[in-house]
Formats: sequence, structure tokens, C-alpha cells
Amino acid sequence: MKQLVIDFQKCDAGRNCNHECELECAIKVFKVDDPAQAALQIKAYEDGGGHAVLCDQCGDCVVVCPSEALKRNKLGVVMINKTVCVGCYMCIGFCEKDAFMRNSDWITPHKCTSCGICVKVCPHGALAIVDVPEPAVRII
Amino acid sequence: MSQLVFDPSKVMTIDYTQRTEYLDGLEAIKAAHKVLKEITYTPSLPDKGYTNRTLYVNVGSLEIKEKPVTQQMKDVFIGGRGFGLYHLWNAVKPTTRWNDPENEIIISPGPVSGITQYAGTGKSLVVSLSPQTEIPIDSNVGGFYGPLLKFSGFDALELQGKSDKDIILFIDGVKGIIRIEEAPTDPVDSHVLAEILTHMYAENEADLPNISVVSTGAAAEHSLIGMLNFSFYDRRRKCVRFKQAGRGGIGSVFRNKRIRALVVRGPKVAGDLNHPADPETIAKTGIKYHKEIRENDGSQCMMRRNGTAHIVEIMDAYDLLPVHNFQYGSHPDTHKIDSSYWQQRCTQHTVDGCWYGCSMACAKGADGLVLRTGPYKGDMVTVDGPEYENAAGLGSNCGVFDPDYLLELNFYCDTYGICTITYGTLTAFVMECYQRGILDKQRTGGLEMTWGNAEADLEMMHQMARGEGFGKIAGMGVKRMKEYFIRNGYGDPQLINDIGMENKGLEYSQYMSKESLAQQGGYALTNKGPQHDEAWLIFMDMVNKQLPTFEDKAEALYYFPLFRTWFGLNGFCKLPWNDVVPANNSSQPEAHKVPEHVQNYVDLFTATTGIQITKEDLIVQSAKVYNFQRVFNIRMGKGLRLHDAAPYRSLGPVTKEEYESRAERYDKQIVDEMGLDPKGKGTEEKMALHREWRTGRFSQLMDAVYTRRGWTLDGVPTLERLKELGLDAFPEVVEVVKQHL
Amino acid sequence: MINVNEEPLDWHPGMTIRDILRQKNYRFPMLVIHVNDVLVQKKDYDTTTVPDGAVVKVIHLISGG
Repeated sequence: MKQLVIDFQKCDAGRNCNHECELECAIKVFKVDDPAQAALQIKAYEDGGGHAVLCDQCGDCVVVCPSEALKRNKLGVVMINKTVCVGCYMCIGFCEKDAFMRNSDWITPHKCTSCGICVKVCPHGALAIVDVPEPAVRII
Repeated sequence: MSQLVFDPSKVMTIDYTQRTEYLDGLEAIKAAHKVLKEITYTPSLPDKGYTNRTLYVNVGSLEIKEKPVTQQMKDVFIGGRGFGLYHLWNAVKPTTRWNDPENEIIISPGPVSGITQYAGTGKSLVVSLSPQTEIPIDSNVGGFYGPLLKFSGFDALELQGKSDKDIILFIDGVKGIIRIEEAPTDPVDSHVLAEILTHMYAENEADLPNISVVSTGAAAEHSLIGMLNFSFYDRRRKCVRFKQAGRGGIGSVFRNKRIRALVVRGPKVAGDLNHPADPETIAKTGIKYHKEIRENDGSQCMMRRNGTAHIVEIMDAYDLLPVHNFQYGSHPDTHKIDSSYWQQRCTQHTVDGCWYGCSMACAKGADGLVLRTGPYKGDMVTVDGPEYENAAGLGSNCGVFDPDYLLELNFYCDTYGICTITYGTLTAFVMECYQRGILDKQRTGGLEMTWGNAEADLEMMHQMARGEGFGKIAGMGVKRMKEYFIRNGYGDPQLINDIGMENKGLEYSQYMSKESLAQQGGYALTNKGPQHDEAWLIFMDMVNKQLPTFEDKAEALYYFPLFRTWFGLNGFCKLPWNDVVPANNSSQPEAHKVPEHVQNYVDLFTATTGIQITKEDLIVQSAKVYNFQRVFNIRMGKGLRLHDAAPYRSLGPVTKEEYESRAERYDKQIVDEMGLDPKGKGTEEKMALHREWRTGRFSQLMDAVYTRRGWTLDGVPTLERLKELGLDAFPEVVEVVKQHL
Repeated sequence: MINVNEEPLDWHPGMTIRDILRQKNYRFPMLVIHVNDVLVQKKDYDTTTVPDGAVVKVIHLISGG
């Protein structure tokens, strides 16, 4: 399955960039001019280094979704079907990586689709889409 | 003792798609339907939780009309059980009996019901005059019918009248059609009927989850203990599942009106259909709660793995699991039916929850049961549950410790449309009567009702469904069986009355109250009868010793029934309140009330309706409805102190065996509580001492509770209390009370 | 001797909260435990020892379907 990964040897957690990854994701994918709505979030630690909130397509949200709005596509990426989603937000609450997002103006949540748009704009080349095996379905 | 650990490798692999299908006759059944009445209406979605209209249907005269929801209804009754009681009060007279045409069945979801972001928010409340208690009964039920009814445009459905043919009421909340159809050849039992109707009324496969069916089964027609199944479509299993409005015989009223089913087709559910005043607060509160479940459930109650059955082994460990008709509190075979078994037997890799957004997901499904008896022998079915009440009631209380038989009993109760709690308690009574010679093979028509005889138990249930033999007698419920056995001289009247576990005509649910005075009140000093949904105080009282005085017990029996009434006004489930708690709950003041969750409920109500309330207001909202219901009982000729009396089995040891099983505890009480010396006294003498002491303190408890509730010592709400609650605005209410002051 | 929920219980040196729960067969998972009015966190049940004469409150939260 396609998975977005980050290399913190290269990413400097926004110290010398403009969070291009978040901005590009927010604007191009979700059509909002607000990096806080991006499906990835890069945070700098005060004492150096950083942390990324990334969806690794683990599929826990697929297991808990009551309306079968979340399914893997052919590439193994977990996609949300907004016409089926009932807006219960269990996907958000059960995401251990806090990678499922919500925008107050929308009734359905949103997430990373491993589209790679952020990869292209990262000035440090810190992001990549990799192909990894799909994890086994967990009982949650 | 360490907590049970879930081992996914032990879960049985069962292919739940291999269920028996019942769709063969669908086309012929549909062709036989005849439209008796059809009207069109304008569907609408709720605004801040209310659609502001209710639907009235008279199944006798075929009258269909809309009624407005008044501001007074919202202010005083809120919704749900409150709306049900309000409509029922207006529909009946003091002389009305359950099977009179004017009796109603009211289904109302409540203003918060139908939000999808918080756990346990798809409930509706069903209210009717009960055939068992002859006073109003209310039953809190999951499934999709309530929310879909509201999203079709109605805050409540009132069903009145009696049909002379079997009918189905269909509400199409998308097209705006309400239709009464004659249903002459429809199957009777719920698991077949609801599957057929769900497919009959869905326009295509994607529409299946938008259909919900309310139905009952064959045994509801021949008994007083009928229940209603509220369906929901399980997308993963691709099957129709049920939650039950179980208590008090509403299914029997349903069939007495010759309603075969109610079907609603709602709009596709989305997160904003309830149009709350403040969706942001609801979203945040819901997500916070989902996280709490994720982080804590696995080390707390494991509701997601075991459902309510998680307390089978807990109740056994604390001597509280009813065994052999509430004689004993534990049994060596409990491990065969406890949650270590059910978490292997229930399918785990699926989504359980009887409404969207329920992260607690207690609605377990046991797939792949091949039935061994009855009309569906050989069929492979999915059984909902077993919940704790079923495992305890159908299991330990009757001495049935074979899990497959327990599941089969559970399945047939559901599809035949009878309450599992009631059936469990009445069968335990029958078995004890059989063991004590009050009944014998001749009197039961050949049924050998010994402890644990599941085959005889199932045959009694099949008889009940066929309206035959001893099953028909059992279907009258414990109260009427007691009267029948005494009338026929079957045994010692006092013994029969002592061991028949009913109060107000309703069977006790499955907890041992003998050693907890507060729980004795929690059961008997209730509005509708002995049901644990008002107050569950056994741990606080018996184990924690938090309620040492009568006043302490009375305070708990004031607060908890009111707090829990509130769930039923709004369409909430009780379980998410206390079957998980925040990690820091133990350091909060009044941890037993789960203060963070109480605040969640206050926030959810305010965010839905836009009406600012506090946690104190919540109690006042409930008190209005609770006291109205008490006055309603009085209006129907019940509701006084004498009707709150409890069977002695619920208060203390009836028999020598019971006394001797806890002799050390009981002897110590003779010393500590009565100031007497048990030495040299025979068991009979000591039992008599206990009886006097226990009935005396129960009476003292009544005094304390009535006083705290603002009632007279005869159990009548005072005029001052009614005024305080604004119920003096209803002259009829005041009039009822005045006759008893 | 210690006092657990108003009842006496034999004490032994090194007695932990877990020992008390085992002896009393307190299997319910939702407990609030105070030893001499001091809250003991769940994670510390195995390691917290109880002094002789302690007053232990094991508050079981409300249960019941």
C-alpha cells in the first residue's frame, strides 16, 4: 500500500521553510487556505527536532466505521466516501496517530490519501510515498 | 483476581454469511398486501432536535393526523418518555385497560436522539398501559426506528385503536407517504418478518440501512409479556438485527391492536440531520468520548468485546448473580456462561452498535447458531446478545449453564417477541415451584421443569408461542401465575407469594437485592416496576458501605432515579454514562456519579436544543416527568405505598436452604443489628427474626424515600412538590392527588 | 489488622492493594481506592503497600445493565 513517510534527517520542522507541504495539501486537496486543515501536520519541538502527524494508512478507522464509508482503494490507501459517511467521528477518536482531521465547516472528516502532492513541494525532499505491505486487520 | 484479558486468537471463526435466508416468499407476501389508507405529507428534518409535530394514527378508524408539539410539552415533558406519558395521559381514562381501543403505544425518540457523534444516542422510548402492571410502562430501546421516525418529520408516533385485520403502518419519510396496509400473509416471528419487510420497503440495496421495522412475534399474541423488536440493518453481516423494548408487555398491546409491523423509510443519515444549535460542541464532546473509549475500555469494562455480559463473572464474584430463582448469588458453573466465553463466541472483527457513532458498541452478535428445537430447527441464525440480563435470567437464574441452549432461548425470546428478563424470572419461578412440589408433571402438562432443563424450558416457550398448554399459563407472568396457583390450591400461599419475584405485576430484573436495602428500594420504589434502570445501588450500599443511614439511601433513591429518567427524556442510552470512565475519574469529587460524563450530557442537551441548562436543571427536568408518572399511576388506581410492597425473596431468605447458605452473615446480623444472640436458636426462629427486622427496615426505607421525594407517607406527591415542579399547571394532575391527601 | 470498607481484615507486612483485592475477591475493574484518605492510582495497586491499622476504602463505581 502507498504510505506517506517523513525523514527528520531532512525535515527541519518548518524552521527554514513555510510549511509548503501543509499549505499545498490544504489548498490543492481540500480547497481551503488554512494549513491547519491539511492532512499532515508538522510540529517543531522547542528543543530541536520535530514531530509529524501523518496517516500511515493502518486501517484502524476502516474497522470502526459503522457506515462502511472508509475503504481501501486499489493502492491500499484508506479513502472516505463522503456520501456514505454519517459524520460520527469514530475514525477521529480511534485514530492513534491523530491523523484523521475535521474542519468545523464540514460535516464529514477528512484524511490523507497518500496523493503525494506534499512530496513534490517539500523544499528539503523530506517526504516520500513508499510502498509497504498492508497490515493485518486489528480487532479494535 | 486479575481482570480478563482478551485473546483475539481464541475468537471462534464463524462465517456469518452462512445464515439461513428468509426472502423466498417476499413477492407473494407483498402481492397480498392491500392498501387500506394512504395519505401524503411534507417530510421535514428536526430543528434543534425537534420536528415540532407528532403523528397520530388510529389503526381502527384509519384516521391519520399530525399534531403540533407545544412549548408546554417541550418545557415540561422534554420528549421521549415524557412525550409518551403526556400523550397516554390524554388518551386514556382511569378505567381504561390495556386491551381497550383507547390505550395507546407511543414511540418517541427525544430531542438529542439521532445525533451521530456521541455514544448511545439512537434511543427511543415506548410508552403504553401495560397488560402486566395496568399502569404506564416505559421501555428504552435502540435500533434505528426512533431516529428515522424523527428524520421523517415526527417527534413521536401515537398508535391508538384496534384493527380487525393484521396491518402494517408504513411511513416513507423521503417521499412523504403514510400508508396503512393490510398484511394478511406476512410471517409472524420477528427474525423472518423484519428481514422480509426490510427488503420489501427498501428501494435498492443501498437503501437497506434506511429502513427500520418494529415487530413482535407469535408469543406476544398469546401472552401478556410481549415485547417489541426495533430493527437496524447490519451492513457488514448484511442482516437485520434487533434491539428490544422489552419490559411490561408492550408487544402484547401491539398484537392486541393487530399491528403486524411498523416500517419507516428515512432519509440517508448524515451527521447534521438533527440540526443542533451548536454542532461544534457536539463534535468535540463526541470525539473526546470516542478517545476515552479507545484508551480506557480495554482495561475497564471491555464493553466493546463483551457488551454487558462482562458483569456475569463480576456478579458471581460478589454473590449477586441470581441463581435458582434469586435464592443464591453464585454458582460453580458460571464460568461456562461468563464473558471469557462470550468474547470468543461473539463475532469480534465487526462493528457493533445499535446506532451510528456508538463507540461503546455493546450490541454483540453470536453468529452461526444452528437451532436444535422449534419451528426453525436446523436453521442457522445470528443471535443478538447475550446481554447480561439474558445470561443471568435465562441462564443462572434457571440453572441453565449450556451456552448454546442459552443462545437458543435468547433467540426464541427475541423472534417470538417476549421479554428475556421477564421470561427468565418467570421460568425461574416455575422451576422453583416445580422443585418444591407446587407444580408437578401433571400440572405442567408433562414439562419437567427442573433446574437447568433447557429442553423443557424451550418447549414451554414454544407452547407460549402456540398459545397452548402450560406455556399459556406461564405467559400470564409471575403475578397472575401466583394467583392461579393459589386459587387452585397448588401450595402454601405465603411461600408462593414470597418466591414469586414481581412487584406491581412486573418481574424483577437479574440482580440479587437481598443483601442491599437500598437496592430493595431501587427495585420496588419505582414507577413502572422492578427494573434496574432507575437505580443500581448494590455496590454503593452493600460493598462500599457508602449509604449507612436511611437518609443516605433515600438521597441515592432520590438522585439516581431522576438522573437516569433523564436519559429516557432525551433518547440516550444509560450505558455510556458509567460503563467507561475518564482516566482521572477517581480523583474527582463524587466519582460515582462520573462528573465529567454528567457535564457531557448537560453540554449535549444545550448544544442540541440551544437551551442552557445545568446539572441541577437536569434533575428538575426529570423530576417533572417522574412525579407526573407517579400521579398517573395513582390515577390508574395504583401508585400508593401498598403497591410498592416487595416480595420477601427480594428482601431476605425465604427458605432454610437460603438462610443456611449465608448462615454466618445472617447470624452476625442477629448479633450486630438486632442485638440478640443466635446461639441455641433454630433456623426457623432465626428466619423469623430476620423477616421482622428486614420488613421493618424496608418500611422505614419507604418512609425516608417518600419524604425525600416530597411525597406523603402513602407515596403521594404533595401539592407543594407539584407546585415546585410546575405540575400544578395541569388541573387534572392536581385533582388526582387531592383525592389522596 | 486493617479496615476495608468498614470490615476488619488481617494485615501482614508488605501487604499491597492487589493483595487486598485478591483476598476480598474484589474483581470489578472500576474502583476508586483510598488508603487513609489518600487516593491510590490503578497503576500502583501492585506496588502500594498498606500500613497496619490502615483504613482502606475500595469504592466500586456503579454497575448493572
